[in-house]
Amino acid sequence: MKFSLNTILAFNQWNKTADNIVPNGVDDLLQKIGAQLGEIDETVDFGTKYDGVVIVKVVECVKHPDADKLSLCRVDDGGVVKDVERGEDGLVQVVCGAPNCREGIMAAWLPPGATVPSSVDDDPFVLEARELRGKVSNGMLASPKELDLGESHDGILEVDGHIPAGTAFVDAYNLKDDLIIDIENKMFTHRPDLFGFIGIARELAGIQGIKYKSPEWYVSEPKIGDVEGESLTLEVINELPELVPRFTAIAMSDVKVGPSPGWLVVELAKLGQKSINNIVDLTNYIMLSTSQPLHAYDYDKVKALSGDKPTIVIRNPHKGEKLALLNGKSVEPRAEAIMIATDKQLIGVGGIMGGSETEVDDNTTNIIIECANFDMYSIRRTVMAHGLFTDAATRFTKGQSPLQNLAVQSNMINSVKQHAGGKIASAMIDDNHLKEATCKRGSLHPEVKVSVDFINVRLGLNLKASEVAKLLTNVEFEVEASGDDLTVKAPFWRTDIELREDIVEEVGRLYGYDHLPLSLPAHDLTPANRNESFDLKSFIRNRLSRAGANEVLGYSFVHGNLLEKVGQDPKNAFEVGNALSPDLQYYRLSLMPSLLEKIHPNIKAGYDEFALFEIGKTHSLQHPSDDDEVPQAYEFTGLVVTAADKLKKSGAAYYQAAKYLENLAGLKLRYEPLTKEMQAYDVAKPYNPDRSASVSLPSGDFLGIIGEFKPSVLRNLKLPKYTAGFEVDTTILGYLMNGMTKAYHPPFKYPSVKQDMTLKLDSKVTIQQLLDDSEDIYKDAKPEGIVHHDIEVLDIFQRQDDQEHKQVTLRFTTTGMDRTLTDKEVGTGLDKFYEKLKSKLGAERI
Amino acid sequence: MIDQKLIDDLKKRAEEGDASVLRSPEFKSLFDAIKTIDAEKRSEYGQAVNKLRTELSEILAEKSDQESALPPIDVTAPYDANLKANEKPQLLPSEQGTIHPLTAEQDKVLDIFYRMGFTAVESREIDDDFHMFGSLNFPEGHPARDDYDTFMTTQKDKNDKPYIAPAHTSTMQNRVLKAHKQDLENGQPIAAVIPGRVFRNEDLDPRHEHTFYQLEGIYVGEGINAGHLIATLKTFLQEYYGQELEVKTQPFYFPFTEPSFEFALSCPFCDKKGCNICSQSGWIELLGCGMIHPNVLHEAGIDTEKYTGFAWGGGIDRLVMMKNGIEDVRHFHSGRLEFLRQFK
Repeated sequence: MKFSLNTILAFNQWNKTADNIVPNGVDDLLQKIGAQLGEIDETVDFGTKYDGVVIVKVVECVKHPDADKLSLCRVDDGGVVKDVERGEDGLVQVVCGAPNCREGIMAAWLPPGATVPSSVDDDPFVLEARELRGKVSNGMLASPKELDLGESHDGILEVDGHIPAGTAFVDAYNLKDDLIIDIENKMFTHRPDLFGFIGIARELAGIQGIKYKSPEWYVSEPKIGDVEGESLTLEVINELPELVPRFTAIAMSDVKVGPSPGWLVVELAKLGQKSINNIVDLTNYIMLSTSQPLHAYDYDKVKALSGDKPTIVIRNPHKGEKLALLNGKSVEPRAEAIMIATDKQLIGVGGIMGGSETEVDDNTTNIIIECANFDMYSIRRTVMAHGLFTDAATRFTKGQSPLQNLAVQSNMINSVKQHAGGKIASAMIDDNHLKEATCKRGSLHPEVKVSVDFINVRLGLNLKASEVAKLLTNVEFEVEASGDDLTVKAPFWRTDIELREDIVEEVGRLYGYDHLPLSLPAHDLTPANRNESFDLKSFIRNRLSRAGANEVLGYSFVHGNLLEKVGQDPKNAFEVGNALSPDLQYYRLSLMPSLLEKIHPNIKAGYDEFALFEIGKTHSLQHPSDDDEVPQAYEFTGLVVTAADKLKKSGAAYYQAAKYLENLAGLKLRYEPLTKEMQAYDVAKPYNPDRSASVSLPSGDFLGIIGEFKPSVLRNLKLPKYTAGFEVDTTILGYLMNGMTKAYHPPFKYPSVKQDMTLKLDSKVTIQQLLDDSEDIYKDAKPEGIVHHDIEVLDIFQRQDDQEHKQVTLRFTTTGMDRTLTDKEVGTGLDKFYEKLKSKLGAERI
Repeated sequence: MIDQKLIDDLKKRAEEGDASVLRSPEFKSLFDAIKTIDAEKRSEYGQAVNKLRTELSEILAEKSDQESALPPIDVTAPYDANLKANEKPQLLPSEQGTIHPLTAEQDKVLDIFYRMGFTAVESREIDDDFHMFGSLNFPEGHPARDDYDTFMTTQKDKNDKPYIAPAHTSTMQNRVLKAHKQDLENGQPIAAVIPGRVFRNEDLDPRHEHTFYQLEGIYVGEGINAGHLIATLKTFLQEYYGQELEVKTQPFYFPFTEPSFEFALSCPFCDKKGCNICSQSGWIELLGCGMIHPNVLHEAGIDTEKYTGFAWGGGIDRLVMMKNGIEDVRHFHSGRLEFLRQFK
């Protein structure tokens, strides 16, 4: 929301609304705006570029002797400009090419040495006295475009006649030291009243403890005059009272449409609006002051497009109906859009933009002025659906108060009369669907009863009732105090005051949050609970990163193609219906696809061997919902190890992944080939069933899946052959942190005996089976007494010429806890062990 | 709609491992026919052709997996057979391992809040309309409920509204307030922080991500006021940056707090003199905050006569980017080792 500080200062002075609102200088004011109103986007010094521009009277204007399109003018600058060539009568000669240049008008003169205002920002152009077809032109008379006041370059700006020649342009239009202040709109989401400078002016006073009193026409009962002269018929039919709670319209006749006066052009230009004609400009100016958008229609065009009598209908569009807009585009409005129509066809998008067929133009003599209220959410959807971002829409999407329409209408009517002539030609049509109580109360919500204590507790202050009342009445709240109890009525333009907390906000802001006393909440010594899940994840991260793996973060959403590449079924995934990017079609079913996807780019970037891991949430339509009936996330920890093909790594990558997993878990885990049932799960889909396993804790709790990937997955994701990974349930890993680690034994006092045994076995016997049986047998076969033992696999060998068998070397580490064991007694134990193992597994000692 | 014999033929070829079947004239002609089919049957036919293509691709993939399959391994073994001692699987060198800078920072932030007496709660990545909007005082029809900014699923919740990828961690507020209501009534203030992933429907560029990391905080107790809020955040930030800071608030608007603020701190990188990180302003806007709206407390059954509270939310990614001078937010999810390994 932009506003001009000078506009507000002049307005305040003219309407006697407030005392000086810049008592401590502009910087102080800007600081207060930031702290108490909202963030300032930027401030622009609007006036400086007009330094040197002088208002002159064109005293003489004759045709240039040697050029058809140029005039030779002599202008009166009151003698204020120094160092310029003058005639004996003190007038200055200027050559001008504008068709509207004529004797007697007032114009803006850029004397030699002045910079063309529109060129200041990019490539400053400084004027000089120079000859045009043999005649000296001392500077130039400026068009609105050259003055950076609009697009018009057809003629020079005609300055308002009452301004004396020789007045500096900045003085004539109150631009000296003017600042255009732009406050971020999002600060005012709930403050529709701050989209007009009257509202801003009130706040600027309020935040400085200065009393503000709105101009009389805004706050007193509006008086709309009677029909003067010709009466124009007009009917309004509101088919959408829910969405259009108030719609006012009035007809005016005998209006003279023409260019706007200079001050109006300047006021609009300051806020970035271009001048169109006096009627349209007035609707815009009144919107900029009151924040209530207005729209003017050409009455006769509406009449021509109506049936028997001129009619305005508020309705939804019919199927296929189109509308040509004022911006030159055409729109086929969404079915729920609020449209303005005659009884025959559309003439405007309600609250957003008018149609071109009923536009007010130079030939217009009769007009209809509309001042209405539209549902803010409906307006927003229409804006978004059609990309129609207009100033009116910006204001209506904040929800304008429906209690100010008549005051604004009355202001508009008077302004039209003043600047474009015109007479009231119909009664005020006021289609009002507000509750009677609301209208009677003159405030959108009932009075709020609140105690001063309630306010003080929430702000940490000790204000007195009178202080609170003053802050509020400064911005025109009505406050009745009875001891410490206040009854507060919000003014009619405030849509946001409903609860006691809203009053707290208002008081706090006007008082100034920047000088609230700061203190930490009082706290007892009860320790705050740490979050075990976060602690677990930190633990996992530390373990894995210490093992040389790199943590990555993958998006929660994946492209459908990725799911297909790894064989997962998109039908099981939550589908994002509205993502801008196709990369975000589905919630990921498991972490592995995102991890695998990150391998190839890194290999390509020259990293030959690495491990990536992620701890993240996955979602599937097959997962159960939680207690709130919201889809439940499964938290997984995934890791991939890979080595570029050129390294020609030996052995199966599977075992390296297992190495990582056991390092993470801190103990031996149990692996079983994937069952058919298991292979059907999406999480298992990328894995090669011949080289993968389901993995569990020794307790039997299912932990997850580990393995190498299907050849199709390797191919589709351009993965090195040596690639494997695991994806395990993070929650189950958490069991390991809760004390379930390897059993403790005291440090050994006596030396251990290490003996190896190489066994030839059927190759179908798994190592797990061998170890389980060995454990089972050796615990009874080992030397008597308190003896600790450990069995590990030292080597696995398979002869090329005998695929039926494998040779496994086991190492037995046996330690007496209360004595030194001899090699002999350990050897005897191992012999016993071998006999039993032989009969159990058919193993052969070699 | 498609000749069953042709389907059988094509599938047979796929089962025989003939990869050219997808490019065969017979198969292509099925696609060409889409244009000539009656408009009303076209979509059904198109789906049938697509289904066939998927089936053929699957058969081919399976076939090719079978053909290039490596022999099964003993998944219970510690390593492969016939390996030399130096070929047995090993962990990679410890010094090349890294923790992601965002999770590392989150841990650091959590640690400070633990010390300040806050507990921490996990957020979620999919939620329903009630938790994301209804319980947070977003009226029906509020713009945030439109799907322009928020990811929504095609699947619907129990109230026939789409599920939502949370746009802010406030989606957890109602749950946390409810969970601790009893403690509150027993005299323990509710003090919790909620870190989590949040989502916004934006196209990616160096400054815009659709996925980012927020930390939400809430504090509810008796007599809690806006001064407590500002002091709490200031205390955290001073601890985090290890220096004295100035802070300021600017009025803002959020539906779930009243009053609402934008919170800024004096730039810790230049001592408020102005630098690139603070855009020469000396101030950094870091988070949104405010006093929890009474409707939000009501929704969790908390007595707003007796209890008041504050909440805030800010981005972890911002903290990390500012601290390390990271120029492109997309690096975080890129998985590039060149990026990740810089954060030891």
